[in-house]
Amino acid sequence: MAEERRGSWFGFGFCGFGQALGSGRGRQVHSPEPLQTPGEDADVCRVSASWSYTAFVTRGGRLELSGSAGCAAGGCRDAWASEALLVVLRAGPGRGAGTELQAWAPGSALSGEPLWAHTVGPEAEGEDAPGGEPQAGALPLLPGARAYVSPRPPFYSPLAPELRARRLELGAEHALLLDEAGQVFSWGQGRHGQLGHGTLEAELEPRPLEALQGVPMAEVAAGGWHSVCVSETGDIYIWGWNESGQLALPSRSLAEVGKTAAGEASGPKEDGSDVRTAEGESGGLAPFIAIQPFPALLDLPPGTDAVKASCGSRHTAVVTRTGELYTWGWGKYGQLGHEDTSSLDRPRRVEYFVDKRLQSFLFSTDQSNQNVNCPGRKKNQYIFLKG
Amino acid sequence: MAGAGTLREALRALLPPTKEELTLQLGETVERSVVRLLREAVELFCGGRGDECLQASEAILDYSWEKLNTGPWRDVHRDWRRVYAFGCLLKAVCLCEETGDAGAVAAALRVCDMGLLMGAAILGDILTKVAAVLQAHLPSGKRPAPGPAQEQPHEKKARHDHVRIPDVRSERTVPRLRCPSLQHFRKHFLVPGRPVILEGVADQWPCMKKWSLEYIQDVAGCRTVPVEVGSRYTDEEWSQTLMTVNEFISKYIRDEPRDVGYLAQHQLFDQIPELKRDISIPDYCCLGDGDEEEITINAWFGPQGTVSPLHQDPQQNFLAQVTGRKYIRLYSPQESEALYPHDTHLLHNTSQVDVENPDLEKFPKFAEAPFLSCILCPGEILFIPVKYWHYVRALDLSFSVSFWWS
Repeated sequence: MAEERRGSWFGFGFCGFGQALGSGRGRQVHSPEPLQTPGEDADVCRVSASWSYTAFVTRGGRLELSGSAGCAAGGCRDAWASEALLVVLRAGPGRGAGTELQAWAPGSALSGEPLWAHTVGPEAEGEDAPGGEPQAGALPLLPGARAYVSPRPPFYSPLAPELRARRLELGAEHALLLDEAGQVFSWGQGRHGQLGHGTLEAELEPRPLEALQGVPMAEVAAGGWHSVCVSETGDIYIWGWNESGQLALPSRSLAEVGKTAAGEASGPKEDGSDVRTAEGESGGLAPFIAIQPFPALLDLPPGTDAVKASCGSRHTAVVTRTGELYTWGWGKYGQLGHEDTSSLDRPRRVEYFVDKRLQSFLFSTDQSNQNVNCPGRKKNQYIFLKG
Repeated sequence: MAGAGTLREALRALLPPTKEELTLQLGETVERSVVRLLREAVELFCGGRGDECLQASEAILDYSWEKLNTGPWRDVHRDWRRVYAFGCLLKAVCLCEETGDAGAVAAALRVCDMGLLMGAAILGDILTKVAAVLQAHLPSGKRPAPGPAQEQPHEKKARHDHVRIPDVRSERTVPRLRCPSLQHFRKHFLVPGRPVILEGVADQWPCMKKWSLEYIQDVAGCRTVPVEVGSRYTDEEWSQTLMTVNEFISKYIRDEPRDVGYLAQHQLFDQIPELKRDISIPDYCCLGDGDEEEITINAWFGPQGTVSPLHQDPQQNFLAQVTGRKYIRLYSPQESEALYPHDTHLLHNTSQVDVENPDLEKFPKFAEAPFLSCILCPGEILFIPVKYWHYVRALDLSFSVSFWWS
C-alpha cells in the first residue's frame, strides 16, 4: 500500500481490469485507496479514467495508461480516455511547432500511427496559464475553445466562437458547456431531462439554460444522463435522470430495494415519466422523481459551499470549500466510497477524507454515443481525488 | 420437484458443447475491452468458477445496459442487445448452478426475461429455451392458486361504479363482413384504407376457448412482463414497470386495484411460444409486402377501463379481440388537423384530445370531425388501416392481440 503524502491521488470504484494503481486487488474498491504513482516524475496533474483503463498525465508530460491498455508515452499535455478512443494532446517539438491532437485505439500502446491527428493552431498556445504551464484537463474542449473532440464521428466538432467556451463536458448523449460569463448551455438528446430546458425534446445546437440565467456558474459536470453545475457562491444545481438517486432526489428504485429482498434495479427504457407518487414508509405521500427536466437546487448540509462537481455515469460527487467530499447515486461497485455497495439518493460525506483536505478531483467515465450533432462521453465508476 | 442435478443437466444440454462455440460474433461497435471481458466470463464459466463468472456477468450487464439506454431505442446497435442477452444467459445459468431452489430458479427466470425483453436473440434463441426449462423446474407452489373468483372473465362484475357503455347506435359504425375473400378485402378496404370488422376469421382460434385468467397464470404466471401504470400514456403520472404476470393479475386485475395497470404492446408470444400456438396470423396479412417474420404481434391484457389515447401507427393493424369488449373510435388520417396532434417529437403520433371528454374550447375543430366507432367483441378482428387514428377503451377485463404488418 502506497504511503499517503500531501498531494496524493486516491481512487475507488470498479477496477475489473486492474486499472487501479493502488492495491488493485479484486474487481471493486469500496473505500478510497492511495494510488501508487508511477516512477520518479510522479506529479500527476491529470487523470482521465475510462471503464477498462485509466490515463495519467504528469507535469513532466508523461502519459501512463493502466488497466486494459497498459503502456506509457512522453510529450503529452493532456489526455482523455474513452473505451473507443484515447485522445491525447501532444506538444510539438519546441516552441512554435504547435500542438497536435491525436486519437489512438486504446489497445495500440501509442505505437504506430494514430487513428487520426489534427494540428491545433499555435494561437492556442497563448491559452497557457500564467507561468507558462500548459493547461491540462480541458479536454474534450480543445485549446482555443474553437472545437471539441468526441469518441465517435464526427470526432472533431467546431464551436461557435461567440460561445466563448470555458469548459465542456460530455454525457452519454448530451453536452454541457460553460462560458466565460458563467452561463451554462446544453444540447443533444433530452429524453431523460438532461438538457434542463424543461422538456424531453432534443436540441441540435447549444441552448442556454434560461432557468440559470443570472446565476453565474463556476463549474459544470455531466454524468451519463444527468447534469450538474456549481455556482460561484457554492450552490449546486442538478437535473436529468434520477434512476439511481444521482440527483439526490427520492428515487423509487432505491425505495423498492429497501423494502424487498431482491433488488434488480434495471428496467426498460423510460419515455417521459416525470413525478410518480408513492407511499413513504410512514404512510405519507413521498414524491419519487424519475426525471428532473429543469435545474433543481440541491441541499447540502448547512454551511457547506461546493467548489467542484464531477459525475460518473450514474453517480455524482462534490468537493466543498473546506476540502470535504460528498457522493451520491449509483453505488453498486463502491464508487461512492462509503465502504459499501449501496446506492444513495441523498448526499453523504466520504468519511475517509475527513481529516484530509481535497484540492481537486475528477471522475472518470467512458463511453460515448452519438446523436444528432452531439457526441457523448460517459460512464464509469472510478473516482480519483487529490488530497 | 425436480432436483438441482436435473436442472443443471437440462441447462447444460442447451448450451453449446465447447467454449469456442459459447461466443458471439460481434462487429466493431463492441469495444475490445468488452470482448475481452466476455471471453473471460466464458473461461470462468467453463472453469467452474461460478461466483467469479457472476461478477463478470454483472459487469457485462451493467455496461451493456448503459448502451441500451443511450440514444433512441431503434438506434441501439443490435450487438449491444446481444451482449446484454449473453450476460443474462451466463448469469441465469450461474444462478442455478449451485442450488435448484425455487428462489434461485425464479431469479434466474427473471434474468432470462430481462434478456428477452431488452436483448436480442443469440445462440439460436437460447434464452427462450432456457426460460422454458426454468419454468418447468419451478415447483408448482410457485404458481399461486387461482383466486376465489372462478367465473369466466367476461362474466366478472364491474369493479367501478360506472361503466360507460357508449351508445354506438347514434354513431356511424364500422362495417362488418363475414370471411371476405382476399381480393374483396384488398379492393374495398386495404387499398382505399377503410376500416372493417372481420367476422368468422378468428372465432375458432384456440385462444377464444382457452384463455381464462387461470390458464394465463398457468402458462405465463411467473414470467416477467412490462406493465404500464396510469390512466393513459399521456398523463404525467404514467410510468412503465416490470413485474410477473401473477403480480400483474393480482395487483391490477383482482383485488380492487387502486391504479390502472395495463400489460400493453408487449410481444408476449415471442417470449412465451406456447401461447403463440393458440393464435393464428390472419391470411389477409399475405396481401402485404413484408414477410411473415416481420409481422409484429402484440398482446394487450388489462382490466376494464384501460384507455389508449387517440393515436396513429405506421403500419396496417389487425386487432383481434379474445376476451371482453372494447369501445373503439376511428378517425381518418385526412382529419388529422382536427385532432390536434402533439407537437413534440415523442408524441407527434398522438392527439391532444381526450376523445370521450373533449375540451372543445381548446380543440374546437374536433367536434365536427367525422368518425367511425364500434364495440369489438370476442372472436372479431378490426382492420385499422395504416395511419388511421384510433382510440380504445376496455369495457370489460380484456385480452386483445394485434398484428402490425406492411
